[in-house]
Amino acid sequence: MVYRDGLRMGTLSRHPETGWRANGWLDLGLRWLLGGLFVLASAHKIMDPAAFAKIIFGYDLFPAVAINLIAIILPYIELTAGLALITGVYPRAAAVVLSGLLMGFILAISINAWRGHVFDCGCFSSGEAALWQGTPGWMLGRNGLLLFMGWSITTFRGQRKIVVRSG
Amino acid sequence: MQDLLKKTVLLLVVAASLALLVNHLSPHGIPLIGQWDTEVGVVTADTAAAAVWMDFEIPDPQTAKQVFDAASALFVDVRSQDLFDEGHIPGAVSLPLGSFESRLEAFAADVSPKQPIVTYCSGRLCQDSHTAAQLLMERGFENVVVFIDGLPGWIENGYPVATP
Repeated sequence: MVYRDGLRMGTLSRHPETGWRANGWLDLGLRWLLGGLFVLASAHKIMDPAAFAKIIFGYDLFPAVAINLIAIILPYIELTAGLALITGVYPRAAAVVLSGLLMGFILAISINAWRGHVFDCGCFSSGEAALWQGTPGWMLGRNGLLLFMGWSITTFRGQRKIVVRSG
Repeated sequence: MQDLLKKTVLLLVVAASLALLVNHLSPHGIPLIGQWDTEVGVVTADTAAAAVWMDFEIPDPQTAKQVFDAASALFVDVRSQDLFDEGHIPGAVSLPLGSFESRLEAFAADVSPKQPIVTYCSGRLCQDSHTAAQLLMERGFENVVVFIDGLPGWIENGYPVATP
């Protein structure tokens, strides 16, 4: 068992770990990948909140008064947490935020797959977004993988690389 | 744990504040509450646009049928060519929003700017007919209205449907 400098503090030092769970470079890679994907995903939602609101409406899960607010705020949560993860500002908290979002996405997709709800308004303007979203199976698989990455970052026990503000 | 919760909440507050600020300042910004009730009209995040649209909307299938029976207006179907081929309002012209630019020239060559035009798409969940109406007006067509219930509303009332 090798104690590293970063592990000699707080409760972490009682559970020193080696292997991939304590590999700082792997953690950095996962942070950049997960953070980068969320930053990219937020971009077109931020550019066109009205179109994103229509997609949220299409899920048929949210009250009418909440739809625009979700469309306005959700992309910025993705952007902020994504950038925080990349730059190393509260990386653990950022991973918790993104994991929470992913669990929400998985729940929403699962509910609609279970009840057979498919939103097809026959619109040209929403076609592109639908294409980007893909089938429920693909979306669940992708989000499941991303959630695993989020969990790995959240429960990381080694010395993180590139951290501006820890936590 | 408490520290993690504090930082998580901090990230969320920063994100929400930034979102509301940018939305307020951005030309792409939307109102905090949208129009998502199909009873009221076409669903949209942008209530300001919806208020403007109301001035050039045919708000129910019965009125659309009267316009149809008067036989002076040209119905323009802006759904995809595939959907048009499956069925459309008799006499309607296909001008899919997806290939609007490429087909507009041919359309404009055939149709007078004074011709009354009624655009329609797939009903109140669909804004394409509004977008098309706006583009037609910008192109110089002077008399364009939108039949907001579209083909679904038309069929629901048992009105005739043409298939090529």
